[in-house]
Amino acid sequence: MGITVSGISKRFGAFTALGDIDLEARPGEFLALLGPSGSGKTTLLRIIAGLEFPDTGTVAFDGVDVTNQPITDRGVGFVFQQYALFRHMTVADNVAFGLTVRKRSTRPAKAEIARRVEELLDLVQLKDLGKRYPAQLSGGQRQRVALARALAVEPRILLLDEPFGALDAKVRKDLRRWLRELHDRMGLTSIFVTHDQEEALELADRVVVMDHGVIEQVSAPEAIYNDPASAFVFDFVGESNRLPVSVRGGRAHFGGHAFDVATDGTRDGDATLFFRPHDVEIVGAGAAALPAVVSLARPRGGGTRIEARIEGREAPLELDYTGDAPPRPGDRIGVRPLRARLFPAG
Amino acid sequence: MSATPAPAHQRATAESPVARIVLIGVALAFLGLFLLLPLIAVFAEGLQRGIGPFLDAIVEPDALSAIRLTLTVAAISVPLNIVFGIAAAWAITKFDFPGKGLLITLIDLPFSVSPVVAGLMYILLFGSSGWFASVLADQDMQIVFAVPGIVLATIFVTFPFVARELIPLMQEQGRDDEEAALSLGASGWQTFWHVTLPNIRWGLLYGVLLCNARAMGEFGAVSVVSGHIRGETNTMPLHVEILYNEYNFVAAFAVASLLAGLALVTLVLKSVLEWRFDYHRGGTGH
Repeated sequence: MGITVSGISKRFGAFTALGDIDLEARPGEFLALLGPSGSGKTTLLRIIAGLEFPDTGTVAFDGVDVTNQPITDRGVGFVFQQYALFRHMTVADNVAFGLTVRKRSTRPAKAEIARRVEELLDLVQLKDLGKRYPAQLSGGQRQRVALARALAVEPRILLLDEPFGALDAKVRKDLRRWLRELHDRMGLTSIFVTHDQEEALELADRVVVMDHGVIEQVSAPEAIYNDPASAFVFDFVGESNRLPVSVRGGRAHFGGHAFDVATDGTRDGDATLFFRPHDVEIVGAGAAALPAVVSLARPRGGGTRIEARIEGREAPLELDYTGDAPPRPGDRIGVRPLRARLFPAG
Repeated sequence: MSATPAPAHQRATAESPVARIVLIGVALAFLGLFLLLPLIAVFAEGLQRGIGPFLDAIVEPDALSAIRLTLTVAAISVPLNIVFGIAAAWAITKFDFPGKGLLITLIDLPFSVSPVVAGLMYILLFGSSGWFASVLADQDMQIVFAVPGIVLATIFVTFPFVARELIPLMQEQGRDDEEAALSLGASGWQTFWHVTLPNIRWGLLYGVLLCNARAMGEFGAVSVVSGHIRGETNTMPLHVEILYNEYNFVAAFAVASLLAGLALVTLVLKSVLEWRFDYHRGGTGH
């Protein structure tokens, strides 16, 4: 089921949570809403669910306008950050809830409900825990009960608010993979909110990067990382170094040094230069490069992570060195960005 | 409750044994002198001529009428306050609306206003020269110096108990559970009945208990609007006062014993509830 969001805006008092959002989720797609807290990602998810209503704009499922439908009628599955399991009900009763509250005419028979619950608990690998109470489960188990409960009403759309936020790292990784499989197997259209870029890049078909209530970029994970659309995205996703430079004659100037960079039509004047730690060449001091002094060098991954201080910049640069003889603290080096991006200062 | 000898391993915050004995002693003496002794005195005075006069004082028609009225008033005002309390707590914790702060303040008003003033407010509104006097006269209705006035005054003074108990509890629980129920297709009523009510049941019971204790024991506000008509508008606390003023001490203390007994039962129930409540809150933390 496709989701189309057009021209959505939402204010809470004087605070603009969302400003004019357009977004499309294709049928069967797995979308991540990624952004820092306060970026409006959760508000957008809640508006799509029908838990919040926009000031302007529309939400449509498969072309049908559902903007004014409350969540009860939208038939979406929603998984809450803290799971929101009903603590006085057993796991089985939690999962059955969406079926037992149906009107008599559409409610399955008791035996049928029990069978469906059994099936769902099997699906989320909690077969023997139906009689337990939520308080007797681990975080990962609760998460899976919440999923089973949401899936019991057979939604075509699954919305998840920080689904892995409250779990520890190991469980998180397993659940991620499992959720992705589930999504594919059931043919769902899913949107999940996260502030964890690794999670978004690993799990989603496309990542929606948000900041201050607007969408900065919607792209496949590779493009988000390799071709960020804005300074914010470059900074927020992955590690990066930023240098305040001035652009003159197609070159970027920093403290008397000039780099050749693709200026992409950036007008002459102040700009910010971004480059990733691994997109640099470290050369000997004196070469035509940015002079820096190594302040820290420690092994990391297959290479060495170097922190180097340069004149005219407070924070050290973060650089990756993969050669055999890494520079040592105190060494003078030259830094030459290989792939860098310029964004107008602002 | 005797002071136990100091354990071998003392905590840093523990006082010296002497200070501890003095503190505990003072607290116990104070409790005994100001709470326990008067309570015993009430029962002792009531029973000073034996069990016969004690029972006579309770089954005497005016006393029975007072007991009946007290129970009636509680039976009307407590359920109403359950509904008001849940509605107010629900509105405050689950919705955002302008004037929320004012509503919270208003709920506390009965706690901060003297009960006598509360009673006078109703006289001012519904009395023979009050704001609604002519309307009431047209309808041939009597509110003040009759049972409706007593019920109104009791509702007023007991209003905060249920709401005050529920607001922090529902705030702590948030809206997630309700939203989850709605997302699964439950109606508003189903959500309340299957999700909200079970979540607040212990807190609600606790509030109801306190509300009931106050409804049966209220003196000031009820005294102002009652009119003290024997056998008609006297509640138990008012009946006790009348008997006492007539130097009928045995009867006064006998009825007072009954009230005190109700209070003791309430305390026991309250302790049981607190224990269950803590257990439930502690047992389901995330």
